[in-house]
Amino acid sequence: MANFSATKRLLSLPASARAAFLAPTRAFSVLKRPFPNYEGHVPLNVFERGALAAGSAVMSLLNPRRGDLIAALGETTATPYFIYRLRDAMLSNPTGRRILRDRPRITSRTMSVEKLRALPDNSVGRAYVGWLDGEGVSPDTRDSVKYIDNEECAYVMQRYRESHDFYHAITGLPVFVEGEVALKAFEFANTLLPMTGLSLFAVTRMKPAERSRFWQTYLPWAISNGLKSKEVINVYWEEELERDVADLRAELGLERPPDLRETRKTLREQRKAAKEEKEKISGLTSGKPFVGS
Amino acid sequence: MAVGTPSRALRPYTCSSCARSLKLRSRKFATAASPDIYDVVCVGGGPTGLSLLTALRSSKATSHLRLALVESQDLDRARKWDLPPDQYSNRASSLTPSSQFFLSKIGAWPHVDTSRVQPYHHMRVWDGLSSTARIAFDSPAPEPAIAHMTENQNLTRALLARLESLEPITIFDKTSVANINLGSQPSSPASEDTSLDLSSYPHVTLSSDHTVATRLLVGADGINGPVRTFAGIRTRGWDYDRHGVVATLRLPSDFSHDPGNSRGVTAYQRFLPTGPIALLALPGSYASLVWTATSTQAAKLKSLSTEDFLAMVNAAFRLSVVDLDYMFALSSGQFDELQWRESVSSSTSKEASGDIPQAVEGVQNNSIASFPLRLRHASSYTTHRTALVGDAAHTIHPLAGQGLNMGLGDSRSLASAIEYAVIHGADIGNEMNCLDKYNSEMWMGNNRMLGAVDKLHWLYSVKNGPVIPLRGLGLRAVDALGEWGVKRWVMRQAGAL
Repeated sequence: MANFSATKRLLSLPASARAAFLAPTRAFSVLKRPFPNYEGHVPLNVFERGALAAGSAVMSLLNPRRGDLIAALGETTATPYFIYRLRDAMLSNPTGRRILRDRPRITSRTMSVEKLRALPDNSVGRAYVGWLDGEGVSPDTRDSVKYIDNEECAYVMQRYRESHDFYHAITGLPVFVEGEVALKAFEFANTLLPMTGLSLFAVTRMKPAERSRFWQTYLPWAISNGLKSKEVINVYWEEELERDVADLRAELGLERPPDLRETRKTLREQRKAAKEEKEKISGLTSGKPFVGS
Repeated sequence: MAVGTPSRALRPYTCSSCARSLKLRSRKFATAASPDIYDVVCVGGGPTGLSLLTALRSSKATSHLRLALVESQDLDRARKWDLPPDQYSNRASSLTPSSQFFLSKIGAWPHVDTSRVQPYHHMRVWDGLSSTARIAFDSPAPEPAIAHMTENQNLTRALLARLESLEPITIFDKTSVANINLGSQPSSPASEDTSLDLSSYPHVTLSSDHTVATRLLVGADGINGPVRTFAGIRTRGWDYDRHGVVATLRLPSDFSHDPGNSRGVTAYQRFLPTGPIALLALPGSYASLVWTATSTQAAKLKSLSTEDFLAMVNAAFRLSVVDLDYMFALSSGQFDELQWRESVSSSTSKEASGDIPQAVEGVQNNSIASFPLRLRHASSYTTHRTALVGDAAHTIHPLAGQGLNMGLGDSRSLASAIEYAVIHGADIGNEMNCLDKYNSEMWMGNNRMLGAVDKLHWLYSVKNGPVIPLRGLGLRAVDALGEWGVKRWVMRQAGAL
């Protein structure tokens, strides 16, 4: 009874005072949610996090276009350990540390597309904007992080997510499933984020020809380059925009994978040619049936 | 009694060499050519050697022994050591209650300037790689404290004062040992009446060309002293490739170890992968630092500006190992890095709860020093007419603060062995009758302590892998089992309680 009246008295306080009073002792339950650690933060308990991870994993496999689910999967599987490891990788590197201090965000406001278009053809910025134009995406298509409890780690996740388009730009891997999976495999070897590894299940959705190409060409490339190159999270992209792409790739110790678009185009043409050839032959055979004696 | 009247009545009960030695005193004056003969000559006038001599002088049975001390430093400096109350020596040790009891027993503790001694009642120890793995030691009652932080020089001065309040001993200070040999064989058995057989007595030739012979030579002369070399005792052990960085630090001036403060005074130690860092309270708002670091880190710490050095010390109790490694690689700007990391994740709440020490504000001029850390253990502490005590017998990693306490333990044990031998009329230089008692009492326990501390060092130098959660589990288990006496047992092993 005394307890109840105490609660009532507490509830009559203004919200801010209540928060200050409850903050140190507040237990986590569905009804009593802790206060967010940063703007947009959604604190989850272990069960909620597990359910969200499992649900988003299944659904994003069924529909790979659901970027929000992939984002949720990434955030819920990044703790414990993985996002801290990535943060520590940044903290051990002078540039990574500078990124964590400045906390730059990559948006259409901070990255002027017009300015980037004016850069020379072989520059990182030009490659990035060319890639944005080619794929028809914008820097603003990235969700903000909400399920990671540590505020600094949330930024690391955000940074990874926003840099992702730059990884596309420097590797030249396209955005459709085949290129995306190859890039995710590279990211997994390089950042060790579990979501990037889980994304490899998308291999099951590929056509047999794509799948064999993935196993034979892109996966070996991704693993060896992801492991041997420097941590790509430590690239201060905003400062590298005018840099020559090949130069930056060399500095990171990264090889360019075979151009997937080119390969697919050639294969498509070959297939088309073969088909036409076949049609020609079949036309010849069916049009004027040879009548034997 | 031992060197009293050379009574013929004693002869049947003592061995011939003892009987011979009993006669020495009376013959000393007759043979001018024979050297100065002592019962005990102690080489090394540090706290261990001085406490042994004081213990011998202050015990009734051994107070009349002829004692000599050989010390290379000027003891006047130790006698006149005096620092203003706002300055502290950077070499301070935490004296455990058992050491303090021994010092009281030999009458030295009242000579210690207690205004410069800081007892502490709490200890917080934690793992640098997993912040949840921590252990708390709290002494249940106000007395005894877990330990007393005492400057080594304060203790040395007290021991000298006590020693000199007793019957004087012969002191050869500013004198080093030139060499140590056994005495020469008597020229012929028939001449026994005119010359002494001192062939089993160590003869210490001093740098002043004076030679003293002794029934028992005690080496309190440190890790590579001449006594151990003379005795031919081998040591085992290794170098840690680590340095102990020490300094006297100043906490915020509004801070003081208020005796009425229920939190009392706390000693802090955090295990970093390179070694532990410890902050031990001195009186007022001062504290003593002992930081085990690699030799490059130690050199870096000594080369930093005051501001950056203090930032490193504060960072070592607060930031992650990743941050620390990065800050060690910088040539300057550690202060700035610490400020930034504190702005990202503040440690003020931990500081307020007493889980980590308060931020240090200043460092005493010229108090930053470092010394290499080693593990050494003599295979035996004694040979015929020789005994080793303190660092000459064992050198230990400072992580448990046991070095000086072990030395005082040696002195206590050796003094009581000598006392027993004297009371029972045995030769104090004889292994079987006297010295073995000391060796068997101390060697095994010291070996266990050296081993335990060494294992802790290796356990906490592991940087990754399953060892880290396991050692965290172990530490938390000991912490949680405190109520069942596990913690009390640990503290008893360390000489506290």
